[in-house]
Amino acid sequence: MVTVLSSAITSNASEPDFVFDLHGIGRSYSGIPVLADVTLAIRGGEIHTLMGENGAGKSTLVKIVSGVIKPSFGTMAINGLPVSFQTPRDAEEHGIIIMHQELSLIPEMTVAQNVVLGREPLKGGLFIDRRKSRALAMDVLLRFGFSLDVDTKVRELRVGEQQLVEIARALLMDARLLIMDEPTSALSQTEADILMEVVRDLAAQGVAILYISHRMDEVFEISDQISVLRDGHLIGSAMASETSSADVVEMMVGRRIEVQKIRRKTQPMAGLALEVSGLTAEAQGRSVLKNVSFGLRRGEVLGVGGLLGAGRTELLETIFGARGPVQSGQVQIDGKPVAVQNPADGVAHGLALITEDRKSTGLILKHTISDNIILPQLPRIDRFGVGMGPYQTAQALQAIARLRIAARGTDHVVGNLSGGNQQKVVLGKWLGLAPRILLLDEPTRGIDVGAKDEIYDLIGQLADSGISILLASSEIPELLSICDRVMVLCEGRVTGFLEPDEMTLDAIKQLAMQFE
Amino acid sequence: MTAKNDPVKDAKDAGAWMAAGLRLVMRSKLYWGLGLLLVFGALSSPVTSKGVNIFLSLGNLTDVLRQVSVTGIVAVGMTLVILIAGIDLSVGSILALGTVICAMLLTQEGWTAASYIGVPATGAMAFVCAMGILGIVRQLLRPHTSANGSQGSKAVSALVVLVCAAASVGLMVWLASQVPTKFGVIAVLIMVPCVCAVFGVLNGVLIVHGRLQPFIVTLAMMVGALGLARLIAGQDTAVYPVYTGTNATASFELLRNLVWGVIPMPGIFFLSVLVVFYALTRFTTYGAYLLAIGGNEQASRLAGINVNRIKIVTYAIASALAGLAGILYVAQFRQGKPDAGMGLELDAIAAVVIGGTSLMGGKGTVVGTMVGVLIFGFLSNILQLNNIDSNSQLVLKGVIIVAAVLLQEGQLSTIFSKLRRS
Repeated sequence: MVTVLSSAITSNASEPDFVFDLHGIGRSYSGIPVLADVTLAIRGGEIHTLMGENGAGKSTLVKIVSGVIKPSFGTMAINGLPVSFQTPRDAEEHGIIIMHQELSLIPEMTVAQNVVLGREPLKGGLFIDRRKSRALAMDVLLRFGFSLDVDTKVRELRVGEQQLVEIARALLMDARLLIMDEPTSALSQTEADILMEVVRDLAAQGVAILYISHRMDEVFEISDQISVLRDGHLIGSAMASETSSADVVEMMVGRRIEVQKIRRKTQPMAGLALEVSGLTAEAQGRSVLKNVSFGLRRGEVLGVGGLLGAGRTELLETIFGARGPVQSGQVQIDGKPVAVQNPADGVAHGLALITEDRKSTGLILKHTISDNIILPQLPRIDRFGVGMGPYQTAQALQAIARLRIAARGTDHVVGNLSGGNQQKVVLGKWLGLAPRILLLDEPTRGIDVGAKDEIYDLIGQLADSGISILLASSEIPELLSICDRVMVLCEGRVTGFLEPDEMTLDAIKQLAMQFE
Repeated sequence: MTAKNDPVKDAKDAGAWMAAGLRLVMRSKLYWGLGLLLVFGALSSPVTSKGVNIFLSLGNLTDVLRQVSVTGIVAVGMTLVILIAGIDLSVGSILALGTVICAMLLTQEGWTAASYIGVPATGAMAFVCAMGILGIVRQLLRPHTSANGSQGSKAVSALVVLVCAAASVGLMVWLASQVPTKFGVIAVLIMVPCVCAVFGVLNGVLIVHGRLQPFIVTLAMMVGALGLARLIAGQDTAVYPVYTGTNATASFELLRNLVWGVIPMPGIFFLSVLVVFYALTRFTTYGAYLLAIGGNEQASRLAGINVNRIKIVTYAIASALAGLAGILYVAQFRQGKPDAGMGLELDAIAAVVIGGTSLMGGKGTVVGTMVGVLIFGFLSNILQLNNIDSNSQLVLKGVIIVAAVLLQEGQLSTIFSKLRRS
């Protein structure tokens, strides 16, 4: 154990010629192939990005490389020597470390404790050497210039900082191949930028990076090599400098998709659907919204930008009533002041909230599509639901057809759908209520390009039909491509509104960082 | 199948067929279990000198029904609570409280602790229930098409409140008039569940508004209600005997008699409760709410469902059913006592879990619980018929619970496949 740690500290740049070879790797489940004949080389010092839609076989490949499952066919080799992993631990001992999409930190432990977790230096063979733990953690954090206090509890860190702790942990394990599964999906643009720096730094030190992301701009910013999977096959692998995002998307979906600004048929109408003035809110003694005022016109898509913790989610939840009665300030719908006390009131006033985390707050994962679709309508169903079966099925079928949800039928369990189809179910359940104001929080988080495009189209259509949309997103390109206007928040304050001609990446970033 | 030249598609087809067949078997495995148990019971049963299979005799089968009725009714309430990912440890104590109040109302004249608690509690619950029922009626009368519902005028609402208040005051007067003598069967059947429901409401309110864990709240209620049952019974009173015809009304005997000379009355109550709650959970929005809240409480709240009210109502129903079971307990054992129903909550939870209801909430059925209750009932019956001592019975019960849950969760198949692979 101790020898591993000391080698970690003496840096891993001593092995710049690390090569991980996959040859003819395939995997099938009960005879059905999900991955076939993948041959790839991942080299030290290189950032190799893996792309593909959900279900393309990315996660299966990652599981094979990290030792979670064994390949049905093919061989793997490190520096020419064949390897086969029985357990994830085996892979770790070969320096293959995976950073999961969901953080695996323990919130109640300090940064130092988390960094050394599972590899604690011992005192007398039995007790954890706290001083040495701190020293190790500090050392590895400093090497990349992370300014984190090692004694802070992880719970108190922002998500971006927690990612850095994960990385520090991987570094301490002497990573030679670091697998990063959508590390930026929960980060704001600025935090993602910091992470990019760190990843580049790691590569410069000779670590091989296998990077998975859906964010096209990010992929081209960072990658040396891009490989695309579709339906379990490796469609292509190219240097990032020699390909384009249109090519990559075409490889991913098998057809060409235009990445461009969504064209709208109509302009927002004159009247205000929603008017918020002086909205102020606190949570756990911390001020989350400070004197927020804005108006949302009928048929308008108003973007809400800002860093993580700027108050985007809090703003949407407060308007919807998910955070209880408004503490201070006024909300008007169609010119009339309303007092929304809880989500039921919000629904009654024609609001609908699509939350940022569909798995924990949007869907009942173990229930069927039809049960999820009917959920918000239940309180309005007459005769206590007796004989509502046909109506429920009809609603579900309508949603499946309208949103093009790829499912076996109305009784397909939602938890088994892909991310994009799950998000469509969330949208479908609210559209069944015919809301007048949609509050969308990260509507395309963690879903593939094809589904993303369909959801953007849908947002455009809904706005054209006169529905007003408040759209919060951490992805600036998303705000730029589908919003009529953008409002930027910083630390709970509105720092500015951008009209179409002023909407640029830099303008939004600048407003997002107007700290007091 | 083999004529086609696509091995992958063939494999997929065969796999799909096998999976469908396996799903069908797995889905009905609960009934297979009960069926196997019945076959085993018939085969292992002793036979009388006249060649009658004792296990299959009508008398024995109806006895089993009688024996499982009390636990069964409690288990139905428990199913609802577990469906919303809750738990109710207090039903055993609340049943005990119910037996004490029931026995005292039946046998004591004048104002006792039981009638002091019973009359006002019944009035309050009757008011709430009347409001609820009138609400249901108004909704039923509303045309099916009105999506957002034209709110009835305030005058109608005021009238409803007035009618309900009058009804509950009337009920209280009628009950109070029985205080000087002893209470009749109908009065007891109304009062005991109402009193118990009050404690269920308390459970629910503490869980919802106190934001406490159901486990903690109902554990406290389990201890507290037991103490209260002892207090009401009076110091040192272990048992309240109920002798119908002598110290209580003769008509109470009805609750233990056979109906049409065949089915025991407690069984009729159990079956009625099953039918009512099967319909309620299967066909109404209340059932959909239970599943939704258990499946994902936060998502349900955000969908505009009044989660708090559903939770309180559900805990109240669980306690009211415990009260009803308490009355049947008194009828069956001819006594009310504070330590009736010890450990009953655990039997009920076991039956619910065997019936395939997930302790995580959001998945399960009342029918499953019925099968769970019957499996337990027939199991003890078979073991008794074969003269197996009660301690071995307990061990076997434990084994059955684990085996049933392994089957339910489908873990067994993964264990098997792992064994096969290695």
